[in-house]
Amino acid sequence: MLRQPLTRALALSSPARAAPLAVRRYAEIAPQPDKVEVFIDDKPVYVPPGTTVLQAAAQVGVEIPRFCYHERLAVAGNCRMCLVEVEKSPKPVAACAMPVMKGMRVKTNSDLTRKAREGVMEFLLVNHPLDCPICDQGGECDLQDQSMAFGSDKSRFTDIHFSGKRAVEDKDVGPLIKTIMTRCIHCTRCIRFASEVAGVDDLGTTGRGTDMQVGTYVEKMFLSELSGNIIDLCPVGALTSKPYSFAARPWETRRIDSVDVLDPLGSNIVVSTRTNEVLRILPRTNEEINEEWLSDKSRFACDGLKRQRLVTPLMADSRGNLTPVDWEDAVVAAARALRDCPPDKLLAVAGDMADAESLVALKDLLNRLGSENACTEQYFPLEGAGIDLRSTYLLNTGIANVEDADFVLLIGTNVRFEAPLLNTRIRKAFIHKDTDVALIGPKVDLTYDYVHVGESASIVKDLASGTSAHEVLRKLEQAKRPVVILGADQLKTQEGAALLAYTQELALRLQDKLEDKNWKVLNVLQRTASQVAALDIGYKPGVGALLSAGPQVVYLLGADSGVVTRESLPKDAVVIYQGHHGDAGAAIADVVLPGAAYTEKRATYVNAEGRAQQTLPAVTPPGQAREDWKIIRAISEVVGVRLPYDNLDEVRDRLSQISPALVTYGDVQNNNYFAQARALAQSLQKPVSGNLDVKLKTLEDYFMTDAISRASPTMAKCVQAVLKQKQSTY
Amino acid sequence: MSLGKYLALDKLSNFFNIIKQNGGIRASLYKMYRQDELKDGVLVGEDKFGNKYYENPRYFYGSNRWVEYSDKYNMDYDGSQVPAEWFGWLHYKTDLPPHMDPSRPKYKWMIEFTENMSGTTGQYTPYSTTRPKVEPWIPKRKSNA
Repeated sequence: MLRQPLTRALALSSPARAAPLAVRRYAEIAPQPDKVEVFIDDKPVYVPPGTTVLQAAAQVGVEIPRFCYHERLAVAGNCRMCLVEVEKSPKPVAACAMPVMKGMRVKTNSDLTRKAREGVMEFLLVNHPLDCPICDQGGECDLQDQSMAFGSDKSRFTDIHFSGKRAVEDKDVGPLIKTIMTRCIHCTRCIRFASEVAGVDDLGTTGRGTDMQVGTYVEKMFLSELSGNIIDLCPVGALTSKPYSFAARPWETRRIDSVDVLDPLGSNIVVSTRTNEVLRILPRTNEEINEEWLSDKSRFACDGLKRQRLVTPLMADSRGNLTPVDWEDAVVAAARALRDCPPDKLLAVAGDMADAESLVALKDLLNRLGSENACTEQYFPLEGAGIDLRSTYLLNTGIANVEDADFVLLIGTNVRFEAPLLNTRIRKAFIHKDTDVALIGPKVDLTYDYVHVGESASIVKDLASGTSAHEVLRKLEQAKRPVVILGADQLKTQEGAALLAYTQELALRLQDKLEDKNWKVLNVLQRTASQVAALDIGYKPGVGALLSAGPQVVYLLGADSGVVTRESLPKDAVVIYQGHHGDAGAAIADVVLPGAAYTEKRATYVNAEGRAQQTLPAVTPPGQAREDWKIIRAISEVVGVRLPYDNLDEVRDRLSQISPALVTYGDVQNNNYFAQARALAQSLQKPVSGNLDVKLKTLEDYFMTDAISRASPTMAKCVQAVLKQKQSTY
Repeated sequence: MSLGKYLALDKLSNFFNIIKQNGGIRASLYKMYRQDELKDGVLVGEDKFGNKYYENPRYFYGSNRWVEYSDKYNMDYDGSQVPAEWFGWLHYKTDLPPHMDPSRPKYKWMIEFTENMSGTTGQYTPYSTTRPKVEPWIPKRKSNA
């Protein structure tokens, strides 16, 4: 029943997929054809041929009701809600599937159209339960809204034989999605999302007519890192959020636009709050970053914001146990430690989710104390151009542009779990544009087919020097818009600098030959939301040498990934931890200063492509926790090196002094100086021999990666459910 | 009617009597300050908290029985400090004060009288049955002591 216009999606599972690599043409932009004129309710509109009636109507602002149609999914045409009258057509036609024809006259508000809609709605409601008062979709339900707007005022369904409505058994598809299958109206949006966008062909239909059911055929978990999106897609309450079930109604909540920080892409989100509590997180449409999707960790880890929080300043007592103290005592203790420490023995480490404001405040404080030892947890080679040229550590192509690529080479990265929404872009290019993908690194499931070149780092060297005999080299050189994505985790090793140098050499050799001079090939995919901002501000990547020098005072700004441990520090070192969760960092600290999480402050984050975005405060920080830059500002006052900013605007002025890109919210600066970076990297091209490995290999590795998701019970349930599913035979 | 009464000299003698019974001018002024009234009467009894109960039938019914709260309460006295056993006598439910009334029930399970503690640190607060919105991190203890 599913019409698949995408032959590619159907061919996915066939073994013939490996062969056509050599024969397939690369994606090309089709020339713009002449537009045709159609009339929607007698309003003329010019659209390119092939446009559907529904899209043409949308252009003149006429909204045609629909359930199954979704602009980012293939057209199914099975809900019949979008029926409209077309002149000279004997029957009403489905607007979502009907391409426009020259001079077509569409009537979206005629008697015939209205009657058709009312009829469709009546049939839908015959088998849809009237449980809106206890349905979680209530208030944001397409069926509710459209039955009010387009439905009939009465039903002929009287159930005179008391046979009851159709009832379907609920499915168990994991700890994130609650299914109430009786409410399903068979729009098949979830099925299409699963097979097209998520790349997990688990969902489908069984039976026909009244017996039709949407499900997973056998009881199994919906194993995808994007599963939460089918909750948004479901036009009725058949798929709802399990953690959010029966929690609130949409009209009770306040919605605050914000930015996600749990992966490096900085997806746009809406935070739903009530009574100072984050209830759920929804995606916010941003075509440049996340379209309208959101990964499961970003969506469901929000209950981690209520667990394991630091709510009061803590200080180690005489026995070494952390005990609650007043802000004054903690700030004075921290300031005294900083003041009495020789500048070269001072070390500041920024963690995964540090915002640009606190990063700049901490670095300014350190500099005023005479120290330059501000660094991040994630390493990046400083040899060659190092972090001086922004283009060496950014995702230069841009997230949205990856869709237009015709060859994607992934080096040592599992994009699917490191940046799920970048992976959907690659998958989109793979399906719609016949893009080829090659991977150097461990063999992982990326949800689409790719050429596995190998695991050895020396392959990158061979590709860069042009000596490789692999067909991928030829493909790369022939590609019009190639993309090379290097995982930042690979740069940690001894050979990191050489690997980066080779990747730069390869990418820029390709870029120089391109016809499209604006196309950027080189991409480095950072692992954390704070890294790009930290490098922009001038933090040194990696703690390596600074840590082994034996610091006396270590200031951890949300550093929880376990890079700094008690064992790696001198015995008498003082550790000051500032952050929002009690995790690895707070456990080793002598002074703990409670900060605010990303939903609790107005803060700047720079995503992997170098786009500055700001979060907005949705709730207040719990207990005595404060905004992070204010804590550092307060400490500076006590130390006696007052930082020259008193409010957020002044901090942002300081940010713009360092780099204007940090405060141009929503924009990406054009990156240049590739040639210079390449020249500087020439001397680093040493032989490499190691194997590339990635941390996140399978779905269970994905869910708990940072302080927030580690504190989230939902994420813990997901890991358990995935492990359990792995033992199942299906 | 005697001449003294005719000239209202008995009021005068009552006045001096009240001053005398309340311990002189200074003590009377203090009692006025503390209780806003000054009366003479017969000490009927004293409870275990030190409150003293007086009666004087010369005053009109309703104000002819009264309590002078124990000095330990200072200015913080209130009606709930009258124990249950004296409450009845003070409110004319009975004319027999507790120590002269053998029929009063006395069981060992009867708890000691307490005053109303509302608004103080000793007040009764029901424990919350709702989950806290934010669960704080409890640091691991390094030593058990």
